Amino acid sequence: MTVPTRAASEDAVALVSGRRRTTELGLLILAFIVIVGLYALASLGRNASVPANIGPFLAAVLALVLVAHLVVRRVAPAADALLLPLAALLNGMGYVFIARLNDDLAGLQAAWTAAGITCFVLTLVLVRDIKVLQRYRYTFGLIGVLLLLMPLLPVFGNEINGSRIWVSLGPVGFQPGEFAKIALAIFFAGYLQENRELLSVATFRLGPLSIPDPKHFAPILLAWGVALAVMIFQRDLGSALLFFVLFVVMLWVATGRAAYLVAGFILFAAGAALAYRQFSHVQQRVEIWLDPWTDPQGVGYQIVQSVYALSWGGVVGTGPGLGISGRIPFEETDFIFAIIAEELGLLGSTAVLCAFLLMVGSGLRIARRCSDSFGSLLAVGLTTLIGVQAFIIVGGVIRLLPLTGITLPFVSYGGSSLVANYVLLALLLRISDGASRRVPQPVLAR
Amino acid sequence: MNRQIRLLGAGILIMYVALFLKLNQVQFFQAHEINDRPENTRALQRDFNQPRGSIDSADGAVLAFSEARREALSYQRVYPEGDLFAHVTGYYSFNLGSDGVERTYNDDLAGRTPALELNQLDSLWTDESTEGDVVLTVRKDIQGVAKDALDGRQGSVVALDPRSGEILALYSNPTYDPNLISSNDTEKAEDSKGLYGLAEGKPLLAHTYRERYFPGSTFKVVTAAGGLTQGTVTETEPAYPVVRQYTPPLTNRPIFNFGQSECGGTLFTILAKSCNSSFAQMAVEQVGDDGMIDAAESAGFNDIPPLDLPNPAESRYPTDFGAVVSEPEGKAPVVEDAPRLAQTGIGQNDVAATPLQMALVAAAVANEGEIMTPHVMSTIRSRNGDVVDRFDPEIWRTAFNPNVAETLREGMIGVVENGTGAVLQIPDAEVGAKTGTAQLGTEPPTSHAWIIAFAGPPSEEPTVAVAVIVNNLDGGSSQTGGRVAGPVAKAVIESSLAVR
Repeated sequence: MTVPTRAASEDAVALVSGRRRTTELGLLILAFIVIVGLYALASLGRNASVPANIGPFLAAVLALVLVAHLVVRRVAPAADALLLPLAALLNGMGYVFIARLNDDLAGLQAAWTAAGITCFVLTLVLVRDIKVLQRYRYTFGLIGVLLLLMPLLPVFGNEINGSRIWVSLGPVGFQPGEFAKIALAIFFAGYLQENRELLSVATFRLGPLSIPDPKHFAPILLAWGVALAVMIFQRDLGSALLFFVLFVVMLWVATGRAAYLVAGFILFAAGAALAYRQFSHVQQRVEIWLDPWTDPQGVGYQIVQSVYALSWGGVVGTGPGLGISGRIPFEETDFIFAIIAEELGLLGSTAVLCAFLLMVGSGLRIARRCSDSFGSLLAVGLTTLIGVQAFIIVGGVIRLLPLTGITLPFVSYGGSSLVANYVLLALLLRISDGASRRVPQPVLAR
Repeated sequence: MNRQIRLLGAGILIMYVALFLKLNQVQFFQAHEINDRPENTRALQRDFNQPRGSIDSADGAVLAFSEARREALSYQRVYPEGDLFAHVTGYYSFNLGSDGVERTYNDDLAGRTPALELNQLDSLWTDESTEGDVVLTVRKDIQGVAKDALDGRQGSVVALDPRSGEILALYSNPTYDPNLISSNDTEKAEDSKGLYGLAEGKPLLAHTYRERYFPGSTFKVVTAAGGLTQGTVTETEPAYPVVRQYTPPLTNRPIFNFGQSECGGTLFTILAKSCNSSFAQMAVEQVGDDGMIDAAESAGFNDIPPLDLPNPAESRYPTDFGAVVSEPEGKAPVVEDAPRLAQTGIGQNDVAATPLQMALVAAAVANEGEIMTPHVMSTIRSRNGDVVDRFDPEIWRTAFNPNVAETLREGMIGVVENGTGAVLQIPDAEVGAKTGTAQLGTEPPTSHAWIIAFAGPPSEEPTVAVAVIVNNLDGGSSQTGGRVAGPVAKAVIESSLAVR
């Protein structure tokens, strides 16, 4: 009985794989058309001419997209079909708007995109089974913490724009924090998978409270505490917040104890209150958020200009290349969303939100389908990273939250961010591929 | 674990819905409000990169237009008439905002009104832009006469058509050159504005409608209107005593006639001679506090005139003279502030009026007591010449009833025929006036010379009303208003009668 079943299930896997890859190819072509159209429109809007390099641009985008697709087809055929096209669409949109703002950065971003796709391919090829990562969970935890500490080193470390989150290796600068997030997500997933039972039963009494034995907490609390302290010390509030959410969410998902969410929230509130009292720059952020118009030319300038850009775009936007650029500091990185919202309007900004929401949906679906709890937890962590990071920066840019500068995944200019997110994407695809192979589900037609 | 993952998904969905709602708020519901914020220069940057309509005088002179430039900002605003129309057109600066017609009719000039956009739908495919030209009621010829007549002295001239409220001339000296302030070279613009800000006489301020002065004896028209409206003053009653001074109740300090001359008589006589003693007495005894407040407020005091230029000043008259002290028979009740009430009756103390407001008082007399909404815009034209909007005359307020207006009209004509306004006698025209000299101080004696007047063809409706003030004169007598401000008013009236 076993043999025919396996054969049948392999057939089913092949069927699902074929469908998924066809879907992926179709969606990639759609994304490709959107990107090239947007690129041409932005150039028309800016210079009233079709860009001279439209041919090479077409070829480059097509090549990158096809390489990524063919590698997925080869090494992770049963993986989710939506994630890669969504990433390509966001990456391409980001590139178009970076090119529209700054030609020099556009060249660099193109190189980073190529590097990102390369790392995507490498990750897929090298990590054939996600469980390999689980074996090295402590190594990843250590790597994560070390990466975070790197910018504090005297020789390599670099402070740019008030945040000490840069490392210079010769001429190349990068933000190790982007990679640390992935490494720490792997560590958390591994550690939690191993200790989830222990962490979900209350054995230790502290006064009226029953809490799990603190010794099971120690490693994870240590990594978490160090990471958070470092990020706050580096004044990288956005990353600190992201990291905090990641930790609480993974702990909660692993143990199923809502108490962790409540405790996390209380800790967050206490930490936020403390940070507000202790750090003037935190106070300033909050005050700017509450009323940026008290000093629209000074500290409130950036967020005020961002809000102006958003409202100037209105519902349908000014059209690509037709907005008023050059007014928002960091418009290629943290504030790229404001530029997109100005030129594509509420419709375009909502489309970007939908793209991220679809990525989150796909990521969580992978987490649910995954029979292996390490893979499932890691998928939850990686998805949370993307979804919450986008939420934090978009919320900051549109003044829903106090502004904390981090990149918009796949969209913002920035090598480290782009490469790290492509690695993250590759890991998600790997988990998805593994899940589909282990639990064939013929009804899946996605 | 699946349950938590589902809940996590729901949580993230809620977070994104919050983003979506906030985006709707910023990009849709509040977008208009945010775009209109004063320090938001996005609309300005767009406007400086698209053509803008011209501002034309009623007699066809171009007062402002946009000149294409090959610079960072594609258009530079140019004012061919220099400083002549500065306080009408205002300026249009990238970094310093805008003023005047440039501000009040900004949407028309930029082509953003529904009327202009609709008009442009007809020629959707002809690539015409939507900007509108604003045609003013102000005339270059009369404006030029006003400038020449002031001849460099500090002062203001307002001329308007009492029948429609159309402003024909609105000039005050010192003035400024809007070309300098509107320069796209932002530093140059700022420097120019700074220099003008330091200059004597506040050249940037449109004194015609944004500066208040003691109206002096010109206010006696309002006092008389109060008496006539109450019915306590008529052409024949009362006859005020011929005296040098009048001492109001509750004080020992008398109000003197100019040069302590003897003055008195019935209404027309005291108007023609401009008797301080008589009008102070009239304010206290015949009109009373409520009557004076009513008369002043009916004529437009304590209210912002609905002029279609930015920030017109409110002319002021006191609103409270204290409690009633006694009620003498046959006279108005005596109030605590009776001495002040007496002074306001001759346009001193806490009375302050813009030249525009005093022109409106003359216009009310000329137009059967009705004050038409004063305005400088005549029509808005689209690029293809269609009139897409026009200013329809409307009544702002009724200052007094037609009978009172008629009596005042005769009285003011008397001022010209045999009184302080004799300088305004113009052949083949019926002219009424009231002069005034607002004393500012005695050491050294300085004063403002005032005249308000109306004129028209004989026994027809007056077609022009004017107010002229010449500021900061040395000395001053009862003759000052007629002698100094009179010739300016005469030149402006003659010019207006000639062209209309």
